Amino acid sequence: MKIFKKFTVTALTAVIAVTASFAGIAAAADSLKGKITVNGSTALLPLTLQAAKEFQKLHPKVKIAASGKGSVTGPQAVKKGIADIGACDWDASMDVPGFKAFEGQVANKVAVIPFATIVNKNVGVDNLTTEQLQGIFSGKITNWKDVGGSDANIVVVTRAFGSGTRVNYQAKALAGGDITKKEKNYKETGSSGDMKTAVATTPNAIGYIDLVYVSGGDIKAVKFNGVEATSDNVINGSYKIWAYGYYMTKGQPSGVTKEFIDYVQSKKFQQGSLKKLKFIPISAMKG
Amino acid sequence: MNFTRTRHSARSQRNNKLATIAFYTLGALVMLLIFWLLFTILSKGVPSLRPDFLIKQPEEMDAGGGIGPVLFNSFYILFISLLISIPIGVGAGIYMAEYAPDNKFTGALRICVESLSSVPSIVFGLLGLAIFAEYFNVGLTILGGGVSLALLNLPMLARVTEEAVRAVPGEIREAGYALGMTKFHVIRKVVLPVAMPAIVTGVCLVAGRAFGESAVIILTAGLSTSGEMWDFNLFSPGETLAVHLWYVQSEAIVEDARQIADKSAAVLVFVVLLINFIFRFPLWLGRRRGR
Amino acid sequence: MGAPVQNLASRAQKSSLAESSISTKRHNRHLFSNTMFRYYFLFSILALCLVLGLVIVFIGKTALLLFAHLSPLEFFFSFNWSPEEEAFGAAAFIVNTLSLTALTLLIAVPVSVGMAVLCAEIAPKWLKGFIRPVLDLLVGIPSIVYGYLGLTVLLPFLRRVSGEGLGDGLLAAALVLALMVLPTICRISDDAIIAVPRKYRDAAYALGSTRLQVIMRVVLPAANRGIISAIILGMTRAVGETMAVVMVIGNTPQLAKTLFTPSSVLTSNIVMQISNVEFDSTWNYALHMMAFLLLLISFVLILIIRILGRKRRDAA
Repeated sequence: MKIFKKFTVTALTAVIAVTASFAGIAAAADSLKGKITVNGSTALLPLTLQAAKEFQKLHPKVKIAASGKGSVTGPQAVKKGIADIGACDWDASMDVPGFKAFEGQVANKVAVIPFATIVNKNVGVDNLTTEQLQGIFSGKITNWKDVGGSDANIVVVTRAFGSGTRVNYQAKALAGGDITKKEKNYKETGSSGDMKTAVATTPNAIGYIDLVYVSGGDIKAVKFNGVEATSDNVINGSYKIWAYGYYMTKGQPSGVTKEFIDYVQSKKFQQGSLKKLKFIPISAMKG
Repeated sequence: MNFTRTRHSARSQRNNKLATIAFYTLGALVMLLIFWLLFTILSKGVPSLRPDFLIKQPEEMDAGGGIGPVLFNSFYILFISLLISIPIGVGAGIYMAEYAPDNKFTGALRICVESLSSVPSIVFGLLGLAIFAEYFNVGLTILGGGVSLALLNLPMLARVTEEAVRAVPGEIREAGYALGMTKFHVIRKVVLPVAMPAIVTGVCLVAGRAFGESAVIILTAGLSTSGEMWDFNLFSPGETLAVHLWYVQSEAIVEDARQIADKSAAVLVFVVLLINFIFRFPLWLGRRRGR
Repeated sequence: MGAPVQNLASRAQKSSLAESSISTKRHNRHLFSNTMFRYYFLFSILALCLVLGLVIVFIGKTALLLFAHLSPLEFFFSFNWSPEEEAFGAAAFIVNTLSLTALTLLIAVPVSVGMAVLCAEIAPKWLKGFIRPVLDLLVGIPSIVYGYLGLTVLLPFLRRVSGEGLGDGLLAAALVLALMVLPTICRISDDAIIAVPRKYRDAAYALGSTRLQVIMRVVLPAANRGIISAIILGMTRAVGETMAVVMVIGNTPQLAKTLFTPSSVLTSNIVMQISNVEFDSTWNYALHMMAFLLLLISFVLILIIRILGRKRRDAA
């Protein structure tokens, strides 16, 4: 097995060397080369893919492979050494409920992600307070009429335990409150897209999602403690449900990885594509 | 013909008619359901499908992105996986049917192979991740995706082949042996031609499934492309069409994500139709000629 | 069918007329290829075993670590699955998986075998040539598309029919799965039915049987083996299918008491949670143990179906 492995690695290196030398003839002007693997949060994936595209255009010899599965996969992959950057929706170098800190990793802020409470279009309620949300998600409030709506059972749609969106929503919107499973009118979804579709097609449903995805006529974002969910309200500090998105690295980033993170944090990207993708630049937040 | 119709035979006749009607009704209902399904998928995607959608780069923030490299990767990965899984899968199937002694061990092996297809594909993805990303340390690559997909297909392919070979009547084989043919010669000249249609059915089922598989590819080949259209490098990241569909449907924030998902789904279904056609066409031609 | 044999016979005759050295050479070549391919087939089956071993070791290695942290008793018999409180009881998933599989087969088998009979025995040629490719198309629809349609079309429909608030649950999942395994079961049983030698049918017709009698008493029992394999392949796909199931089953770790209770099966739970766990946590071990369990469950189910099939064949 060992010999086999050695042989394979040699063969791989040879192939990579050959392809690299071919690429070298094509673009000799740019000195930056290497391969970056990004893994982790799917919520940050659109941002990563766009940044990778722009970065590869600037530096044709750099190859960026990106994938996403779930927030905790990011720092984990970095820990195992199978990814250079682990995208994560929370600061994984510190403890969060359910997950221990990853020792020796550095969290690089790359974006601000706002979240919103969403309901199906047939729900008449347009404002919910922290206490009301706590009541709904913990299963104590089960009917819309208790929070000022019509007489109908509340259908709770939530993300699976461990999802980055859920971690942040629980911390910010529910002030650490529980999301408890119920016998009926309760379901968990696996991705932002599923969450959106589930809330959009289920009457009387409530859920939560990255603000970016709130569009179309079938779902609507409700106000949180009387404040509308908009980027401006996040920036001026009145809307509280938001979080930083992080790129986790093993120690301080170096080499190509550092160049890439620098690019993502650069003014050009933050004010350009990142804003277009409806994330909020990190520089907009005070403190 | 002047048989007296007993009450028994009359009842049989009536039952026979009723059953025929029932079978046709069932067929009609299922066909209707399938056509409705296809119509729902295609009617959303096809009207807005333009040829340039098939060759353009995917976009993250502007509407109007295409699926060019993604579609290419799909074929490339499918090709690699079939290149590995067909020879081994068919070979293993033939061994199980023709060579393996008929004992408890073979039986157990057969059941093991069958149970393997109930392992969720995501587990194969994790296995591929462990082999390629951790053991060989090559990261997310087309090669990793292709090989992992082959591992996923192998059991199904082996079982379908075995069944196809077993279904060949024994007397045809005996005729071959009687002519003094060697075992392999009998398999190649007599058994395989007869079993071929069923094997091709199996390959089509497997290829179709592989083409639509996403969990394995997300883990082993990643969610990004190298950004070039014709990238034959085995070590590039290789997002496939099914993965792109998953991504667009689950996480993408491009405003026309829904339309891209609809169009991609339509393209996927088309391609599977194409695969079936390409695999079966030679067979159909051969049968024509044989007649 | 007979063509290759005939061909060869005439060729063999010719070669016997030719020089005997050529015939020996060819004979040797045949012997050589015979041996070579024997080894090749052996190699293939060994490769398959290697894959099998690899998967079992890969899952098993991580899975068995679970019992260092948790008693098997709790894992298999507790209905409480709350990873946030370190409670890992998988009983609900196991029961749900079994009931979902049973429900799916209950819907899918009669329909698919019926379709196979229609295809192979009853329909005129043009109709066969039409039904078969259409069924194959069904295989090509990726499972997330099934899931999406389930979410947007089937669930609202079930809600209207049942008056439930949500509609997610075993019934929705079973309906989607039944549609997904339909082509697998149908196409493979179709091939099995066609492979039944013509003379069986002729003999039965000669005795004055009606077509229904021929199908039920002669063709289906003769094709029994192939149909059973078709059902098994379909069943394993149903047991292992994930992407579509997670969208319509509700993903709530509880026992499915009714057809509309949002619940979770082994696969859907693995897929929902495996991306959110740390590698070296009890939770991860428990998920791998569930994957291992899935292998075991389908092993046992296949065994049962095979034994039942053999009994029926013996009785016939």
